[in-house]
Amino acid sequence: MIVKDAVCPFCGCLCDDIEVEVEENRVVAVTNACELGTTKFMGEKRMKNPILRDGDRWKDITYDEAIRYAADMLLEAERPLLYGWSGTHGEAQCVGVHMAELVRGVIDNTSSVCHGPSILAIQEVGHPGCTLGVVKNRADLVIYWGSNPIDAHPRHLSRYTRYAEGFFLENAFRDRKVIVVDIRKTETANIADEFVQIKPGGDYAVLSALRAIVQGKTDTIPRTVAGVTREQLVRVATLCKAAKFGAVYFGLGLTMTQGKYKNIRNAIELVSELSRHTKFTISAMRGHYNVYGSNEVNTWMTGYPFGIDFSRGIAFYNPGETTAVDILARKACDAALIVGSDPAAHFPRKCLEHLADIPVVQLDPYPNATTAFCNVQIPVAVTGIDAEGTAYRMDGVPIRTRKVLSTDYPSDREVLSRMYALMQEALER
Amino acid sequence: MTFLMITGRTVTQGVTVENKTSAEYAAETSTCFMHEFDMLELGLDDRDTVRVTGPCGEVVMRACASPEVEMGTVFVPYGPYANHIVAAGTRSTGMPDFKSHEVEIEPTDEEPKTVHELMVDLGGLAYDR
Repeated sequence: MIVKDAVCPFCGCLCDDIEVEVEENRVVAVTNACELGTTKFMGEKRMKNPILRDGDRWKDITYDEAIRYAADMLLEAERPLLYGWSGTHGEAQCVGVHMAELVRGVIDNTSSVCHGPSILAIQEVGHPGCTLGVVKNRADLVIYWGSNPIDAHPRHLSRYTRYAEGFFLENAFRDRKVIVVDIRKTETANIADEFVQIKPGGDYAVLSALRAIVQGKTDTIPRTVAGVTREQLVRVATLCKAAKFGAVYFGLGLTMTQGKYKNIRNAIELVSELSRHTKFTISAMRGHYNVYGSNEVNTWMTGYPFGIDFSRGIAFYNPGETTAVDILARKACDAALIVGSDPAAHFPRKCLEHLADIPVVQLDPYPNATTAFCNVQIPVAVTGIDAEGTAYRMDGVPIRTRKVLSTDYPSDREVLSRMYALMQEALER
Repeated sequence: MTFLMITGRTVTQGVTVENKTSAEYAAETSTCFMHEFDMLELGLDDRDTVRVTGPCGEVVMRACASPEVEMGTVFVPYGPYANHIVAAGTRSTGMPDFKSHEVEIEPTDEEPKTVHELMVDLGGLAYDR
């Protein structure tokens, strides 16, 4: 059986043109997806049943036992951390927010360690963004800043920019210019019309220099700015002003370096400046397929996009205090529920030392680095493969992922709903 | 020698990310991509092991020459090896300095640990079924 128009649950591109060939309830071939998506669809090695850590060994347990364990853990904790959420569907994220509020815990998603700083900047100066379709059809200039789509979002270039057709462009490949700004000469830099190589930590200065040039103050610019020559900066500013429609896509090269959200703020303000001359937009290259959704769901339910602390009985948001890395490093939570992410692989070691000291339950289809710190892991269906649900693409467009297989694994929403029901029952008693 | 350590996504890291107990994931995330002149300076050949010391510990990785990184900078794919030495401070943003850590790098005869060993060192229990 061939499933057409399946949605790839890997990165924020959420490509919706994937063909998946299924034989005897196994994926045997994947067409149209990139290497990242294909590997995810073909993924095996799932955990077979829930496991419980019993001293120095692992014991198989039932779903009922595992769900009861998780509910009790959250009820007993004074300030549990509910973290992850970018690798699951919106319906499960909703249950997560309700749970966090019920037990007065902290709910944070992986954006605090990816585009959280971008959201902080957007909260300061707004987000002049647009959908990917608008860029594909209209943009005659695309800038990738601190992002390397060939490795991280492999089909972004072919579906929306460098290699895509554009309705309002006669010959898109010839008429659309691509500029790459990075500290490394990445594969993406190799296919750019113009590559701007910045010295590490120099993004803020280069953005400021470009803003000055766009404002007509070129004479204030020194000969080089963070390793970039004035001539090149003027050339880039001229290309931007000459474009009919420009689009900036930025990655973690801006959010994880010094300056963090101030870099993004400066980039957004450059875009505002350019919009006085022509049309310009800016958007983040969101990583996980539904990390944008976790921001959406959290915002419409609590008013805040990530790092929400219910310990006061109301939603409280203070990045740097209520975000997962800070809470774990300061030992400020006494239990953790991890859903759809792997903090043990992606958090600094100090955070893991605290994870080792507190009870941890994880919902994840695969054994991962966090498994080692779990008291219980509950294997679940993979959204977009054996579970369906809503995910938000990197440009904020919600897309319903499809189920290409049927398995006995429960979805994240099913497991979380059962946990939540047990918790409500216990609190009513 | 002192280097600036940058962490980031690679295709191989992404392909193996759902299979973190695999040798391929460990190999990719324990690779320290360096400029070939820096490797020459340290007397390193491709796949030689190096001890990388950061603000909160050390970890053994394998050096690999890459035309993408500048001298003085090293690139390590996202994962448990880089995070073994990354500090948890976030400067009140929630985000650690994943792309701006100063590290010391020196040749070593030790082998990189497995992902399981790294987790066990921090108090975890390996699951390898």
